[in-house]
Formats: sequence, C-alpha cells, structure tokens
Amino acid sequence: MSTLHLVRQSAFATNDFAQCLSVLDHQDSIVLMDDGCYNLKHSLMDSLLKRVDGTININVITTHAQARAIETIATINHIDMADVVELTFNHKKVITWQ
Amino acid sequence: MTIIEQQTPAILPKESGLAIINSKAPFSSNHGKDALDVALIFGSFEQKVSLFFQGDGVYQLIANQDGRLVSIKDYLKTFSAFEFYDIEDIYACQQSLVNRQLNETFHINDVQVLTSIEFGKALNRHQHVLRF
Amino acid sequence: MKTLAVVVTTPPYSHLTITALTYVEAALVAGINVIGVFFYQDGAMHANKNTSIASDEYQAIAHWQRLQQQYQLPLHICITAAEKRGIACDSIDNEQVNKAFTVSGLGELVELTTKASRLVQF
Repeated sequence: MSTLHLVRQSAFATNDFAQCLSVLDHQDSIVLMDDGCYNLKHSLMDSLLKRVDGTININVITTHAQARAIETIATINHIDMADVVELTFNHKKVITWQ
Repeated sequence: MTIIEQQTPAILPKESGLAIINSKAPFSSNHGKDALDVALIFGSFEQKVSLFFQGDGVYQLIANQDGRLVSIKDYLKTFSAFEFYDIEDIYACQQSLVNRQLNETFHINDVQVLTSIEFGKALNRHQHVLRF
Repeated sequence: MKTLAVVVTTPPYSHLTITALTYVEAALVAGINVIGVFFYQDGAMHANKNTSIASDEYQAIAHWQRLQQQYQLPLHICITAAEKRGIACDSIDNEQVNKAFTVSGLGELVELTTKASRLVQF
C-alpha cells in the first residue's frame, strides 16, 4: 500500500504539497523536485519531519535543490533521476503533485 | 490427531483501475474538462475509473452553478452521465469542503464525502493515478 | 517486466518538461520498457513542427526526437488537445505535425495505462 509522491510545486504558491500530505500514508515516499524543493524551508516540512519521525522516506533531487541555492537538510535523502526511476518501481503507484 | 495448518494466502484486494484527482475550480482553466474527457474515455472502454475531488476541485461538484453566464460550455452537466459510463466511485474530500464553507449539496447524486484518511485509502485502491 | 507509461502535460518551452525528459531518459538507460509517452493538454504543443525555440535554450522537441530514434520510443499526441492548440492533424499529410510524433486519441492513453505497470504524469 505504498505510494511515491512527486512534489513539483512550492507550498508558498499552491496547496499541492498540503494536499499531498493530507493523503500521505506511513509507508509512502516523497520526492521534492523542481519548485517542490522550496518546501524544504516550509513550515509544512518542519511539522512533517516532527510528525513522521523518520518513518516516511523523504528525498530531494540534489541538482534541483542546488540549482535553486536551497540549503538541504541532513535528515532527508539526496538523490538523482536514476534513483527516482528506481523508487517508481519500489512503490505501487506514483502521484504527481504539480 | 494432527493439526494441519492450512496456509491461507492473505486476501488483499488488488489495486485496480485509474483514479483521477480533480484539484482545480471548474471555470478558469481547462483542467476539469480535460480530466472529464479522460474519465469518459476510460468509462467507454469499460475500464474502471474513479473520480476524486480535493482542494478547489470540490467546486466542480457544487450545485446551482451556471457556466453559461460567463460564456463557458457547462461541462459539469455531463457529470450526470457518469452512471451510463459505469463511473460509480466519486469521492469528495470533507476537509476541502469545510475549509471552503461548503455544505454537501452537489449537482450529482452518489458523491461520497470522505475524511482525509478515508480519501487516501480510497486512492490506494487504484493502480494508477492522474491529477488535474 | 517493468513497464512504464508517461503522460506529459507541459509545453516544450516549459522548464518542467526538462524534468520529464530527464526522467524518461533515466528510465530508458536503466533498461525499463517505456511503452509510450502520451502528450496531453499543453504537452500536445510538442508536435507542432513550426515551434522555434532560441538556439541557446533547451531543445525539448529535439531531445524527444532523439529518444524516439535511439530507443524506438513511441510518442503519442492527443489529437483533440493538438487541434485545440492550432496543430492541424487531419490534413492528408499532416504538414504541421512533427514526424517523430504519432497522432492518437485518448483511447491510446487507455491502452498505455492498462498495459503499463507504472503510470507517471509530468
């Protein structure tokens, strides 16, 4: 029952990330990509990290964050697109929040 | 007497079909209509398709709207044809309705209003998800 | 067999399309069977032969063409979405349609979805 969530929008601009979090299950994974990387600094991310306490696998595409000069957090995984492909098949389905 | 332990495989309902999440209000963009077209084609190919309304998407379900007043062909009327396409599972996110001060007065029947947890579980029963 | 279908809804000039391309290429390199890319909504604009993007900018259409040739990757554009955006698809030789793309209907999306073990939208 696991879903891979691709988050592509900044939560400062849209509700997509909040909607993603509202259906998030404890075996799911999140990938922040494109403007979704800005969510690393959003209060929704702070509360998510506190709430899930390491049970949800949270990832960011390294180049997408670096390109935007976003400081990344040690508690989340830094991945590339090949990893996203692998995650696609490690989960039962993919939902894109864009 | 020997007790033969019978191994019964855990019966898990297999995820199947397509879930379409509608996240946009009906009139300012084409997303609702584009999602509807996908739903109807899946229905006409006899493929299982369920509709989810979340965020501003719940505005697509609200009664007494009239797109003609703003020169929009009212695609919402087509929602009443869902039963002819065997589209039976229509879900609205309760929290999205509450946030928008909307009551559960919809222009189609059989909309199931679900809590966020139930909404997520219903999504999980599908094999694929598209979001518009 | 890992099979993947991809839906692209962003136009060729959108930077979001670069992410879609990078993902599809990473899947192909990993040996995943990408059974098709379906261009819907603004994604259909990829098939317009008259699109001209400044040469120092990312050439999304050229990259899709490259993947199509290198991996025989099927690229389907939705006819309704394309015609709505000024790409005439019903003329005899489809003069406006880039030959790398196949003009399809939404039925093709049904086909891809039922065949693929994963469907990913960009």
